[in-house]
Amino acid sequence: MPLEALANHGPVVVSSGTELVTRREHIAAQREAHGRLAVAVLPIHYPKEILTALDLLAVELWGPPGAPRGEAAGRLQSYVCALARNALAFLASGGADAVDGVLFPHTCDSIQGLATLAKDFGGWGKTSFTFLHPKGPDRSSARSFVEAEMRSLARELEAFSGHVLEPARLDRAIRLHREIDAHRAALLDGRARLPQGDPELYALLRRGEWLWPEDHLDEIRAARASLRDRPVQRGVPVLVSGYVPEPAAMLEVLDRAGAYVAADDYAAVGRRVVRRADADGPAPGASDDPWARLVDLYFAAPPCSTRSADPAARVRHLEALLDRSGARGVVLHVLKFCEPELFDVPILRRALAAWNVPVLVLEGELEAELSGQAVTRIEAFVEMLS
Amino acid sequence: MSGAVAIGVDVGSTTCKVVAVDAAGRIVAHRVEPTDPRIEPQVDRLLEAVRAEAGPDAPVGATGYGRKRVRAGRALTEITCHARGAFARVGCPGVLVDMGGQDTKVIRIGAAGEVLDFAMNDKCAAGTGRFLEVILGRLRVPLAEVAEQVARAARAVPVSSTCTVFAESEVISLVASGEPLEGIAKGLHQALASRVAALVRSAAGGGEVFMSGGVALNTAMVAALGEALRRPVRVLPEPQLVGALGAALSCAAVHLA
Amino acid sequence: MSPSLARRARYELAGRVAGPLLVSLEAWQRRLRRRGRPREGPFGPPLESVRKLKELMTLHYFQGRYADGAVPVAWVTSGFPVEILRPLGFHAVYPENHAAMCGVQRIVPGLSDAVEAQGYSRDLCSYARTDLGSVATGRTPAGRLPRPDLLACCTNICQTVLYWYRALADHFRVPLVLVDTPYVYGEAKPHHLAYVRDQLEELVCVAERVSGRRVEPQALVEATRKAKEGTDLWAECLATAKQRPAPWTGIDGFFHMAPIVALRGTEACNAYYRLLRDELRDRVRRGIGGVREEKHRLLWDNLPIWFAVREVSTLLAERGFNFVCTSYTNAWAEAGSRIDPANPIGSAARAYTHIILNQDLPNRLGILRRLAREYAVEGAVLHSDRSCKPYSIGQVDLKERLAAELGIRVLLLEADHGDPRAWAPEQGENRLTAFMESFG
Repeated sequence: MPLEALANHGPVVVSSGTELVTRREHIAAQREAHGRLAVAVLPIHYPKEILTALDLLAVELWGPPGAPRGEAAGRLQSYVCALARNALAFLASGGADAVDGVLFPHTCDSIQGLATLAKDFGGWGKTSFTFLHPKGPDRSSARSFVEAEMRSLARELEAFSGHVLEPARLDRAIRLHREIDAHRAALLDGRARLPQGDPELYALLRRGEWLWPEDHLDEIRAARASLRDRPVQRGVPVLVSGYVPEPAAMLEVLDRAGAYVAADDYAAVGRRVVRRADADGPAPGASDDPWARLVDLYFAAPPCSTRSADPAARVRHLEALLDRSGARGVVLHVLKFCEPELFDVPILRRALAAWNVPVLVLEGELEAELSGQAVTRIEAFVEMLS
Repeated sequence: MSGAVAIGVDVGSTTCKVVAVDAAGRIVAHRVEPTDPRIEPQVDRLLEAVRAEAGPDAPVGATGYGRKRVRAGRALTEITCHARGAFARVGCPGVLVDMGGQDTKVIRIGAAGEVLDFAMNDKCAAGTGRFLEVILGRLRVPLAEVAEQVARAARAVPVSSTCTVFAESEVISLVASGEPLEGIAKGLHQALASRVAALVRSAAGGGEVFMSGGVALNTAMVAALGEALRRPVRVLPEPQLVGALGAALSCAAVHLA
Repeated sequence: MSPSLARRARYELAGRVAGPLLVSLEAWQRRLRRRGRPREGPFGPPLESVRKLKELMTLHYFQGRYADGAVPVAWVTSGFPVEILRPLGFHAVYPENHAAMCGVQRIVPGLSDAVEAQGYSRDLCSYARTDLGSVATGRTPAGRLPRPDLLACCTNICQTVLYWYRALADHFRVPLVLVDTPYVYGEAKPHHLAYVRDQLEELVCVAERVSGRRVEPQALVEATRKAKEGTDLWAECLATAKQRPAPWTGIDGFFHMAPIVALRGTEACNAYYRLLRDELRDRVRRGIGGVREEKHRLLWDNLPIWFAVREVSTLLAERGFNFVCTSYTNAWAEAGSRIDPANPIGSAARAYTHIILNQDLPNRLGILRRLAREYAVEGAVLHSDRSCKPYSIGQVDLKERLAAELGIRVLLLEADHGDPRAWAPEQGENRLTAFMESFG
């Protein structure tokens, strides 16, 4: 099976066309029809608005799932997380030939190492960019750093794309992504009133990881129209927290076992959605200066261990999600060897135990298929909650 | 012919168990066999045998890793079924430790027999019965005799490797350097018990500790687990059949309702 | 916070009188026990300075028992610019140094079990599990560790320290000051260094509040000067191993590194390294080697395997192999070059951002290459440390490049720095032996 087909989601119909396209075809079409260059982006958080404003297509690289393939498979030791290992194997084996550059956000020690390994020892010649996150609580030094880092990345991307980032362009891009966020928030918060099953819903939400944002906006807006006025989901509501719903089969297992994801704390999905209600100050995106707005939005995002959120903030966030959704249990879908998430697990478990909320800790390795044991665990958990 | 109201099938990775229960929940017929890779014909044959003894019409509930391949009315995970079966035997809450050939489960059971929490061993064999089987097999100590050997040991020879394969080489070295077989066997049991005890702690809860599964027939293992937990461990009657019993009872409950 | 006078008096007494007495007593008892036993083994005569090292570190931990309520206490990461805390009178505790001690004494599994029961994964750094386990159980080979009033964390060695120290902050409910050093890809950008400087200034405010004192500029200059002097002296000690035979072993280096980490910025640290340097130079003059018969010189990369450090060292020494340089001990010699007492905060921002683990792989390769050449090594062992991602990622490539560029033999050895459950001794020693045999 060709590598690009494994890198999440099968072929889809993009709203601007009528035929099924794969991710690779979409990238090529964007270049041919619109002159847009593509930048592969490693997980997790990055200022996507800047790429959109510079007419760059961001293509997120979450894997591909399964054992790493190719010559580069052994370059990272087996105790490094699958995300980094698979990504390196993918990049070094020509999987990224379809894109023009790569962006490495400084998510953790492993991605940090991957960035220098791929760029300096990689043996593949695409332009590399990095984006560092401030690792610490809200401090004024963190704010000025994030703004400086965003501007620095923007300058590099300007040179790369051949466009100039005028404030008006940035402003438009911010508005576009705010609109997308609003629809995503409506879908996630109104989950019980959506008739779609999780596999279908998540396939839709995750297409935002690589579709040109305007194309994604169209389909997200259309999906919102299917929200009913009362709950239609019959299954057991659960909250799932983790990085990414891979293998996608996990959602099918949950579905068949009679449960659905009523509240989402996935870094790839829920932890990126900035809601108006979340921000303490003026509504996110309200300031006049687009750069200031971008920084506000950065700090208003839901807490994530890879942005060094205070675990107490994560506990509060989960509490709010549980209240809003009525979820009866929590699945902590952690990635093996992932330090940021694994350090939070005991604190989250303690809080959930204090609230008498059952927890299932499911440790994955971005495997291509769920093991029989993992399937049993999920089914047993749902049986327990029923 | 006794009136079986339901049949439970537990297709484990090592052994296949079939149990028929009557209206009072008593086991009226059962079979246990090593699991054949061709599960369907084996299950059909076992069901036929049990039905011949206990009644042809009873509905079937399935559990175990092979449960989806059984033509059954109802398939439930072995967590739910083991809790059900254990509670039917003891009638009180507690922690069930089920040690099978290839996996180990810990289930916290509530006052109404419900599953409160559960934990399963990681993908590796070192926390399961397989650990003992492989290494004792290498030492040519039959499983049936090992409890006696362990009881004779003056002291345990510690085995520190957390991987079955590495533990095997460690044990070979120990034998070569003259350590007594009984002591090594005792050390192996302690090593396994400490891993299982860690799993018990992760599912938390006080209360009585019960044991089921094939490994519960090994009295040395029961004793080692009791020491590691510092609590008494009660082995359930017919420990290998607990899962199948639970599957049968769940099936019966659905059909009576 | 104002410490009680009585406690302060006891702390000072412990440091100046009771501690040294106790340490001398212990040393005298040890000498009595050793009298009459002949020296044997593949190593050269032991360093005299090791006695003073033990005294220094024992004293430090002993005094720590009386620090609660007497002086402000800070728990500090090894890469943190501690010279900023010295003028405020903090007693600094180094959980990493303490965890290394636990590693050597092979007590990590029990401590780790305690926090694994709380839900911490065994795949997390063994230093973190050791420290959190020690805090959870109260068990420590150091008698008693004083409670922190402040947690001081710098991410230049890894991001894990932040998650670890957050867990400590959650447990102790004390302020955590963070120096987040942006990873250096190529060159540190101006806004990166500005960010570090800003954080240093922010942390001074918090540290002053916690200690109830103000940082006097002159005191900061003095502490910075001492820190620089300490790292320079340490560099001189390390450089003696360029000679043949190297006057000490790589393992000696790992142990003698403790003061530059845990006592950096103090006169006691510097006095010790002067003593050590003089002894090492003397051994060079007299041709005394760390290994009795030095046949092959090696480089060690990454942390040591604390729980097997003697076994590994002996295994190698028996065949005349010695680690004459390590990237780990060298890290503290390099740091000094950027420290400038005339500009304490600015130079600290630069120096602590440019620690080996905070810089890209080409930089790491350059350091290994330089060490290999300067110390004339014929081979290298890269410890693939399961617990330490920043150090271990890239080693597969580094191994190939070193072997190709320098024509030396390189072994990648999988183990862990603290948890013996991650090390298969038979297999590991077999690999080392096969490696040594390949030298002919």
